[in-house]
Amino acid sequence: MENGIAQPARRPLKIFASDPLQGRTVGNRARIDVLNESLSPGPVGARVEVIDFDGVQKCFYLPVMLDDPPILMQGGLEPSESDPRFHQQMVYAVAMKTLENFDRALGRVLRLGSRDRPRQATYPRLRLFPHAFYGANAFYDPKLNAILFGYFKAEAEDVGANLPGQTVFTCLSHDVIAHEMTHAIVDRLRPLFLEPTNGDVLAFHEGFADIIALFQHFSFQDIVREQIQRTRLDLRAPTSLIQLAQQFGYATGSGRALRSALDDPTLKLQGTFEPHDRGSILVAAVFDGFFKTYQRRIGDLVRIATGGTGTLPAGDLHPDLVNRIATEASRTAQRVLDMCIRAFDYMPPVDVTFGDFLRAMVTADYELNAEDDLNLRGAMIEAFRFRGIYPDGVRSLAEESLLWENVEKTLPPLSKDVLTLLQGVFFGALRSFDIGWQDPTYETSPELKQQSVSFDEGEEIEIDVNEDLAEHLHAYATANAGALGLDSDAKIQVRGFHTVFRVAPNGRLLVELVTQFTQVDHTVKDELGGLPFRGGCTLVASSNGVFRYLISKPMRKASGDLARSTAGDSRFSRQKDYLHLCDMRNALFPYFTSDEAGTRMLELMNFANLHEG
Amino acid sequence: MAIKREKRTTRARHTDAHGRETDRKVIIRMYNVGFGDAFLLQIPDGGGYRRILFDCGSIEAAQGMKIKEVVDRIIRDVTDADGSARIDVVVATHRHKDHVSGFGDPSWDDVIVQEVWMPWTEHPTDAEARRIRDTQSRLALNLQAALSLRGPALGEREQRYQDLVSNSLMLSNDRAMRTLHSGFSGAPRRRFLPADEDGKRSFETDALPGLKVHILGPSRSPEVIRDMDPPKGKSFLRFHEGSPTVTFIPQPPFSNDFRLPVPSSATLRPDDMDKIGGAGLFSDLAVAVALDKAVNGTSLMIILEIAGIYLLFPGDAQWGTWNEALGDPEWRELLGRISFYKIGHHGSHNATPRDFVEKMIPDGISAMASTLTRQIWPDIPRAQLLAGLVARKANVARSDQESSVGKTFTAEEGVIETHIPL
Repeated sequence: MENGIAQPARRPLKIFASDPLQGRTVGNRARIDVLNESLSPGPVGARVEVIDFDGVQKCFYLPVMLDDPPILMQGGLEPSESDPRFHQQMVYAVAMKTLENFDRALGRVLRLGSRDRPRQATYPRLRLFPHAFYGANAFYDPKLNAILFGYFKAEAEDVGANLPGQTVFTCLSHDVIAHEMTHAIVDRLRPLFLEPTNGDVLAFHEGFADIIALFQHFSFQDIVREQIQRTRLDLRAPTSLIQLAQQFGYATGSGRALRSALDDPTLKLQGTFEPHDRGSILVAAVFDGFFKTYQRRIGDLVRIATGGTGTLPAGDLHPDLVNRIATEASRTAQRVLDMCIRAFDYMPPVDVTFGDFLRAMVTADYELNAEDDLNLRGAMIEAFRFRGIYPDGVRSLAEESLLWENVEKTLPPLSKDVLTLLQGVFFGALRSFDIGWQDPTYETSPELKQQSVSFDEGEEIEIDVNEDLAEHLHAYATANAGALGLDSDAKIQVRGFHTVFRVAPNGRLLVELVTQFTQVDHTVKDELGGLPFRGGCTLVASSNGVFRYLISKPMRKASGDLARSTAGDSRFSRQKDYLHLCDMRNALFPYFTSDEAGTRMLELMNFANLHEG
Repeated sequence: MAIKREKRTTRARHTDAHGRETDRKVIIRMYNVGFGDAFLLQIPDGGGYRRILFDCGSIEAAQGMKIKEVVDRIIRDVTDADGSARIDVVVATHRHKDHVSGFGDPSWDDVIVQEVWMPWTEHPTDAEARRIRDTQSRLALNLQAALSLRGPALGEREQRYQDLVSNSLMLSNDRAMRTLHSGFSGAPRRRFLPADEDGKRSFETDALPGLKVHILGPSRSPEVIRDMDPPKGKSFLRFHEGSPTVTFIPQPPFSNDFRLPVPSSATLRPDDMDKIGGAGLFSDLAVAVALDKAVNGTSLMIILEIAGIYLLFPGDAQWGTWNEALGDPEWRELLGRISFYKIGHHGSHNATPRDFVEKMIPDGISAMASTLTRQIWPDIPRAQLLAGLVARKANVARSDQESSVGKTFTAEEGVIETHIPL
């Protein structure tokens, strides 16, 4: 508090709602607000910093000072393609918006700092480079803890509303920023999802990033209203609302937006391998689930407005109706967004498939909201089924069989010692929601900060967990290795532990403890193109320490139940099949030296290579 | 079908010069062009033979065997008693130098040809075909220019891909492509396959009576076309802009008023700056290989059906075409019946799917690889692939190993021959 005036909680900023291609159309200049934190020139905040270094021109561009009174007075700089400071503002704003969506849905504050031990580099924040390089690309680089945005000249032909040869900035596309930001966040939540162990892993990374970008469109109320009026309530009509990266798509000469929320009829799950394409099937499934739910939700409004006929009158719709329907669309979109993000706490630590995502989504939502009042889960299950996305080893696609394995009766609860340690963790977590945390002047006191511990068990792992607790968890996993699908002769890595606080629609507070363990077998690297074979599990417990769900990716030599080691074996052969498929598709393969061939799968773990347009 | 059966029964057997009844057979000759392809098929027709030539090109000649000598030899082999050289059908699977360079020789002018088959991407007026050719040749030229700027002293890395680039250079293939498009004697009909007009993927032709031709690829499906398009990547764009310098710096994106010099106490580590500066660059090898793959992606993939015998010539077809063929029940059926396989892309790993070898082909087929082990590409041909074929009891011959061919082949200097009984 300064001069008795409270700091505002939010900071309004202006952005292009989609990208400059729509520059002259109504509603493209959106105003969004983000958490008000104190910013240094850049902007540099607590968790992200914008650094405008141009690697081609070898120079920095003037950084924007968002706390400058003239900028504050106009609620952020006006959209402009020619002023890099607006670019910095937009990258910051969309990145923060995306991050906040994750924070809110996950019920905790994500840390974005990282370290690159071999280079002895410490990066306390995620770094955003709006004009890093020249090229039609943008990507997240885990080693640099940075998102690099490229700029390039539009192709000569079929550039849509672009001018041929005009400079296109990928950092001015809401979708590109949200997409890359999601990659960075997902990498924080599940770092091992960078390892392409089956055909769904990278596709999930891509599809999920598109889902976040897409559903964030629906938070721009003006645009939603306009499009609802224009498309007469049919949100599936090809508008900027459901298209991704329009300017980028046209500027690279493809004659259309980069991707859309609708099914591409030429793409079937079976036989689609390119990660973006395969990911787009996941996007279409989620959008379908959203659309069906939206239709059901607006059914009553439409009936009221049409005297029960359901047939809309000719001409413009009544603005009140459009308003109400836009609100429903935005709310449903936000529910879907939250549901997708919350699935993360129920995801396995390694080797994810689309089917796992469906199960995680269903289980997470079921725990919070068993009634499924909107039938959103039902619509999602149906949409996934329609596209041939089936989880491994479930008997049917009924909701009960999609829930993850319930282990309340089979796994012992956490010990008293752990529950005592947890009190500190709970307190720390609560403080992070306290309004005090949201005050930019508030500094988390050091003793409340979760410690970050590195374990050296064959490789570097950095997690946010207190050391004592980690040791207890490790002991627990060792004692119960068989039941967890782990190999009791191999080292166990504690990959993560965190608390989750979520509020159900009925007001109930749901507290959960999520633990991840992994194991790694490096001896098979030669068979797997340089990647190790990994297994592990995610465990979800109630706050009383009773484990409710086990999400297991068993090792080949999993102790205990034979079914687990069989599942481990089949995962291993699936990984080998996927390697073979990658080799067939990789034109470089015949020209590799033997060293390059030995590490060829590691090359795929690189978003720069993945995003080739 | 009815007509064909009738033909087959009337010509079931014929007699040789000595009046003895012989088994009718297709003769397949593989010429040792070094690194490239040249296959001559002779198919019995009445008392004589119909002839099909699949490709004629090389990027690295075999020891003591220049492509000119191969051309002369082929023309000698197709010269009839009246002194005229005749080939019924010439097939150019795709316009890589190692498949077409031999057609640059002027002696083809006098060879009488009935038909020339090329992939649809060679169609002179088809818009999509032109776009694909233009994109590919622009990239090839720019890459070549970039490589030449680097001076004559190419390092080991560059050696690996300079051949890939020159293999795709359309201009140096120009003379050869002119022969294919407008040369030969006898005013041959040009077919660009699969022909778009009727949507049929199989056809018969008067040039080859009694024979059915199945065109498995290249199709016009997006996945296949994507194989033909080099990635719209960073380096690609850089070259694409017609500024083929490797140090090309684009126009500054903003006015100089916004520009700050790199401060001495920069907020960025020097190694970070270097990494960021290099972010826009594809490795040159990756671009060269992408180009190579794109041209290979246009490859014709053909099954010839002769009296219930199936011969597979996939050119250098890549994943997109193969994947589509394997996903099509009709093609799977035919692929499961083949008795001869021209091993794709000189035996490289990604031109022959594993499932095809392990699960689809019948035991004991005949397979030929036109290949040459080059120090710069040690993985071509792929040992595991050849071993996999042998495991299926296939008889495999390599053009560069004449002395060790099995007894189903006959070898003379520079040629390996096999007979497929009808």
